[in-house]
Amino acid sequence: MNTDTQYLHEVAAGDYEHGWVTEVASDTIPKGLSEDVIRLISSKKQDPDWMLERRLRALRHWQTLHDKEKHPSWAHLQIPAIDFQSISYYSAPGKKAKYQSLDEVDPEVLRTFERLGIPLKEQERLAGVAVDAVIDSVSVATSFKEELAERGIIFCSFSEAIEEHPELVRKYMGSVVPHTDNFYAALNAAVFSDGSFCYIPPGVRCPMELSTYFRINQAGTGQFERTLIVADKGSYVSYLEGCTAPMRDEHQLHAAVVEIIAHEDAEVKYSTIQNWYPGDANGKGGVLNFVTKRGICQGTRSKISWTQLETGSAITWKYPSVILKGDDSKGEFYSVAFTKGRQQADTGTKMLHLGRNTSSTIISKGISAGRSNNSYRGLVRIGRKAHNARNFSQCDSMLLGNRCGAHTFPYLETSNPTAQVEHEATTSKVGEDQMFYCNQRGISEQDAIKLIVTGFCQEILGKLPMEFAVEARKLLAIELEGSVG
Amino acid sequence: MPARQALEIPFVHAVEKCFAEHLHGDLGWWRDRCHKGMTCFRRLGFPTQRQESWKYTSLASVLRQPLATGGSPIPYPGPLPWVDGLDAHVGVFVDGRLDKSRSSLASLPPGVLVTDLHRAGFSRACNLGTLANSTRHPFVALNTAFLTGGAFVLIDANVFLDKPIHVMHLATSNRGRLAQPRTLVHAFRESRASVIESVHLESAGPSLINAVSEYQLENLTHVSRYELQDPAAHVSCVSSLDVTPGYSSRFENHCFTFGGDVVRNNVRVLQIRMDSETVLNGLFMARNRSHVDNHTLVHHAVPDGFSSENYRGILDDHATGVFNGKVLVAPDAQKTNAYQTNKSIVLSDTARMFAKPELEIYADDVKCSHGATTGQLSEDALFYLRTRGLTIKDARTLLLQAFAGEITGEVPHAALREALNQRVTASLQG
Repeated sequence: MNTDTQYLHEVAAGDYEHGWVTEVASDTIPKGLSEDVIRLISSKKQDPDWMLERRLRALRHWQTLHDKEKHPSWAHLQIPAIDFQSISYYSAPGKKAKYQSLDEVDPEVLRTFERLGIPLKEQERLAGVAVDAVIDSVSVATSFKEELAERGIIFCSFSEAIEEHPELVRKYMGSVVPHTDNFYAALNAAVFSDGSFCYIPPGVRCPMELSTYFRINQAGTGQFERTLIVADKGSYVSYLEGCTAPMRDEHQLHAAVVEIIAHEDAEVKYSTIQNWYPGDANGKGGVLNFVTKRGICQGTRSKISWTQLETGSAITWKYPSVILKGDDSKGEFYSVAFTKGRQQADTGTKMLHLGRNTSSTIISKGISAGRSNNSYRGLVRIGRKAHNARNFSQCDSMLLGNRCGAHTFPYLETSNPTAQVEHEATTSKVGEDQMFYCNQRGISEQDAIKLIVTGFCQEILGKLPMEFAVEARKLLAIELEGSVG
Repeated sequence: MPARQALEIPFVHAVEKCFAEHLHGDLGWWRDRCHKGMTCFRRLGFPTQRQESWKYTSLASVLRQPLATGGSPIPYPGPLPWVDGLDAHVGVFVDGRLDKSRSSLASLPPGVLVTDLHRAGFSRACNLGTLANSTRHPFVALNTAFLTGGAFVLIDANVFLDKPIHVMHLATSNRGRLAQPRTLVHAFRESRASVIESVHLESAGPSLINAVSEYQLENLTHVSRYELQDPAAHVSCVSSLDVTPGYSSRFENHCFTFGGDVVRNNVRVLQIRMDSETVLNGLFMARNRSHVDNHTLVHHAVPDGFSSENYRGILDDHATGVFNGKVLVAPDAQKTNAYQTNKSIVLSDTARMFAKPELEIYADDVKCSHGATTGQLSEDALFYLRTRGLTIKDARTLLLQAFAGEITGEVPHAALREALNQRVTASLQG
């Protein structure tokens, strides 16, 4: 084994940084899923009746899917059988389901976020990022609310939005991802416990990055949060999402739904750094990340951009999509997916062109190490009426080691002759010539691989907001240290 | 899917009835294979759109047609006019039997055998059904179940054939409207040959051609195959090709589709010997309500393999095109180079194109890429030609000829290339 592969193996064996557990008394409901459980969650969240009804409707739909064993099995993944009755669908740190102020929050929970580097206290604000911190099933705190409110921006936890802005929630929730969309969207619509809500009024450019931080803490639970972002005419918002979880031997389920609505001339930029616990080197434990993310460019000239850095999770099943309904609207998807150990990722996007002169760009970089499998799966659909639609997709894969897999499954469906659809994909490894060049200049093998991989992803990392880009680079470097050889 | 079952049941019944009649015939040594094929087919059934590999292709229009066994026999078909008179060794197979009077095989050099499968004998044709897998592919199973004959081509070691061999299947179809030609080609060490395959069926009503070809290439061979598909608008066609190239051998497949109702081509190349090369080229021109689906799989199981694919399509009217190309690189297949391109031009508002170029890679020291584009003719190019005095129609034709020429130009036999170019032009003007 040469030093090059040795280093790659070391990278593949790296440790998970956020694997610790917060010791805090928690209110966790018994395991299982039934109408009673839904009613219990609903009463804990003090839902209005219409919300309970929606939950029950979703549950019934999910049960029919579950009975017919219609779990999505088409992805290039080996998903272990999930016992949906052995998961607790609600867990709150401390005794409260809602917090009025930070003073009510258990100091242990606050320390958790401090340790994760999430500034909750406003005096500790760093770069002017407003954060909604969600631990297990409860939103702990949302910062900068007042400052945002001055401009008419609503940024709060989902529970609060249901209470204070029911008209907005009723109008938009489920409008992009209905509960009938897929198995996990149905599950989420039934049991979701919290999440973030954000509304940007017409013509407002959100002055700071909005961010949600998700953490799973309790054992035996899953996290089912919902994010809803509505950008009204001519507004702009950049939204960040981060997530971590402790190391557990069992798989934990994370089935979230994110919906984005962009009206005329609005722009939404959604960035994710996904760093859920990936399981140990033998594939034991880890988060099953089954997420439905979709945005709709409702108005003309609107734009939705997804940027993601996927490094965690035992299994990732995630396809952030854009429905390009408005004329001249734009969709973007930039992704870096890094898998190592026995991680599996099947991720990509869907760009559904419906309006005229719509355009979409897809750039996906997959890096596989160890014994992992990393797939890109993307759909570009040009509808009959989508005149002059334009799509460019590029997906590059890099293999670090000879026991991993890199796969590409693009679907290009064109029903309009004026469309221009281009797709290209390549697969390669770190070139010997590149390594030689670096070594020759005195750069160690390890640094050279870091340099090459970072360079491979640069196009995407550059799209992340500044605060995230720094973190992303660090994260990628840490991941590589644990796994490259 | 009850609706689908309702559609399928009469068809399957007809197949079962035919099978019972078919077994009364003189079956010789492959009776077991027929039974095995039928068993597999019963288990598999017809594929549905719920299956990933048939996602874009519906067989409803094929299955809706009655598979009549009686009635007036289909008239004797003539060869395709545009390949008639091609300088080749022609073997004409009428319903799977070699018709010597219509064939011109007199000038075949020694060491080359073109004959009936059932006359080839077990020792020669023992590979029949071993390359094309009945257990996984329903149409292969169906073909195998009704195996009454077929073409067998053997090229002995060290034989270099200049002229192509043309295997021409004619279906007079006393078996209803289901023609199932079969071809087995075995090229021995260091041989070189070209094989043209075409199926001709004339029928007044809707019919289905279910062709299966198997190519076994020994070490250091070079075999090119040309598939010419030009069925009438009411004839559907499912064609399956399975190939295993030997060590350091080269296999080329050139597939040309100019018509048909539902056309589905399955090409599966299993590279299990090192250093082998595969080239898959395809051109499909579809108009009216034609649906053309090209499915390819190149499985690189061993190191040092090479494969290159280039498929092009021109779609007009209500036509639908599908390209699903998959390159699979197994964990040990290091140093594999695999390239894949698919380009399609959509000419009308109602034509559609679905492309799914896949890569599944488990080895790290490989170079693999694919590219797919769908679009229309470049405005700039059209403008340029118009400034040179060409009419819009001529300019379009010229550009489309050039587009198709990238595929036809790869055909080394001048006469065949010319015939193909003329067929392309006729198709563009028609």
